[in-house]
Amino acid sequence: MVRRVLTLPSGRVAVGVLLAVGLLALVGPLLAPQDPLATTTDALARPSVQHWLGTDSLGRDVLSRLLDGSRVSVVGSLEVVVIALVVGVVPGILSVQLGRVFEWASLRIVDTLIALPFLLFAVAVTALLGNGITQAMVVTGVLVSPLFFRVSRAATLAVARSAYVEAAVISGASVTWVARRHLWSKVLPPIAVAFAQTLGVGFVIVSSLTFLGIGVQPPAPTWGGLLATSLGFLDQQPWAPIAPAALIVATVWASNLLADAIRDVTGEAGRDLLDRRTRRSATAPSLSRTGGTP
Amino acid sequence: MSRPLQLLPSLRRLLATVARSVGIFVPVFLVATFVTFALRSLSGLSPARLQLGEQATPEAIAAVEGQWGLDRPFLTQYAAWLGGVLRGDLGTSWVNGTDVATLIRLGLGVSLSVAALALVIGVVGGVALGTAAGLRPTSRVDRAVTALTTVLSVLPGFVVGIILVAVLAVGLGLFPSAGYAPLTSGVWPWLAHITLPALALSLDVVADVARQLRTGLVTAYRENYVTGAVVRGLGPRRILTRHVLRNATGPLLAVLGLKFPSLVGAAVVTEWIFGLQGFGRFANDSAQAGDVPAVQGVLVVSIVLVVSFNLVVNVLLGRVTPAAARGV
Repeated sequence: MVRRVLTLPSGRVAVGVLLAVGLLALVGPLLAPQDPLATTTDALARPSVQHWLGTDSLGRDVLSRLLDGSRVSVVGSLEVVVIALVVGVVPGILSVQLGRVFEWASLRIVDTLIALPFLLFAVAVTALLGNGITQAMVVTGVLVSPLFFRVSRAATLAVARSAYVEAAVISGASVTWVARRHLWSKVLPPIAVAFAQTLGVGFVIVSSLTFLGIGVQPPAPTWGGLLATSLGFLDQQPWAPIAPAALIVATVWASNLLADAIRDVTGEAGRDLLDRRTRRSATAPSLSRTGGTP
Repeated sequence: MSRPLQLLPSLRRLLATVARSVGIFVPVFLVATFVTFALRSLSGLSPARLQLGEQATPEAIAAVEGQWGLDRPFLTQYAAWLGGVLRGDLGTSWVNGTDVATLIRLGLGVSLSVAALALVIGVVGGVALGTAAGLRPTSRVDRAVTALTTVLSVLPGFVVGIILVAVLAVGLGLFPSAGYAPLTSGVWPWLAHITLPALALSLDVVADVARQLRTGLVTAYRENYVTGAVVRGLGPRRILTRHVLRNATGPLLAVLGLKFPSLVGAAVVTEWIFGLQGFGRFANDSAQAGDVPAVQGVLVVSIVLVVSFNLVVNVLLGRVTPAAARGV
């Protein structure tokens, strides 16, 4: 699947951008040319050789803050996706297997999570639970988990009731063999699509939270936080929001592109399992024709 | 003559739709309010900390908590709180002792103005773009619309908000960059203050509505009833308005129902950017101050907003496409 995603130009671009952002998160804090927290008298400076992106109102080097903040922003959204994966997939599979009471209860909880205005809840719950980065990740992860729940539930429903699984079981196949051979190939594509989508959604939410100053303590830089500080000095530095905004938009765009690329190469089988909420509709019919052949 | 219970069939259908929707939303409301109420216990916050500071003696803390009724068993507190909520009593703020419902009512006008305008922009813009693209699939217009909706859907609301402030408010000075003017001070000042926040919120709706309508139109034109209408000699305009668009309205309403929660939620960020004292801002400030009853109040109001909006959508769905009345 990975190789087939890379045969698509959009897949290559998406993976490339995401890898670059990931690399930035790994080494960015080390590359920062100056101390991101050190204040100087040179406040609100224009971009120069010394400060490539200028300085903020406290004279701190914006480029260093951008590089240093990449780790929280990127690792944060990865954590969100992993939490959402665990919180969503496990009950999603169990809702098919554990009987009607658990099924009914879990479906009502998922209905509720989808109906919640989730940014409002993310802000409120995170702030009340102690306003830390861990709280922010857990709350956001739980709020976006219905996507994984629905995908894994639909996949399990489709597979568990299919004739070929029954045939395999009757002919004496072990549970692990059935899981590896039949379940995995059916379940993986929609989960991969959901993973890429959640990465984008999680990134937006984490950035929104850090933008509001929730989940991080004040001097620590984040991409959302940089945007928020730039807002107060737009009349003096109208260009200041460009760099953090471009990084955020590029990451979200690459995640969506990756989701589309995975869906295109895995074809209709993966698409059926995504409900209307997850399906980004058939906007790119031309792409699906180029994929498929390895 | 007729018995009293024998209502008009259409009215009975309407009541059935409402009853079914209420049946779906009652569990949602109960789960959401329970989680909201449990927040206080989870957070470990107490009015005593806010009023007495960190050095308070355990006795003083117990006394204050007793005043607020926090020494009762959890479920008793929940029942009392839920009873209050159902009567419209959202409790008292820990910070300044004001009635939470009054505080929220002050901000609700701002937030609802912005959300309503965002919905209008989203529907008008989305329908225009979606129809333009769907009528001529694979044309240049269609590709341009597809590209535009792709761009719009990856732009987070707060990024759009900042761009709008930077370019239109601070750069060109076309709009005020912050603040709110109530409708009583005139339609134009009111519109000028809420246009940018509504625009920032609406782009996502524009994209989703346009996509849904495009897909709806493209599939609808392949249906037999369109061929039948052409054979019967109906004009293209009549086919579009009477048959195709009517059938596309159902999924469109469903999209709006799904979008509304995020529209309400995004108020937290847009109201911060545009300096609006709406209920999203109130939620943010209260949450950061640890004012649990105020936060619970805002969350309950947001749930009620979402649930009632979806109720209206479901009723409309039942009227527009009777076949969909059975679904959610």
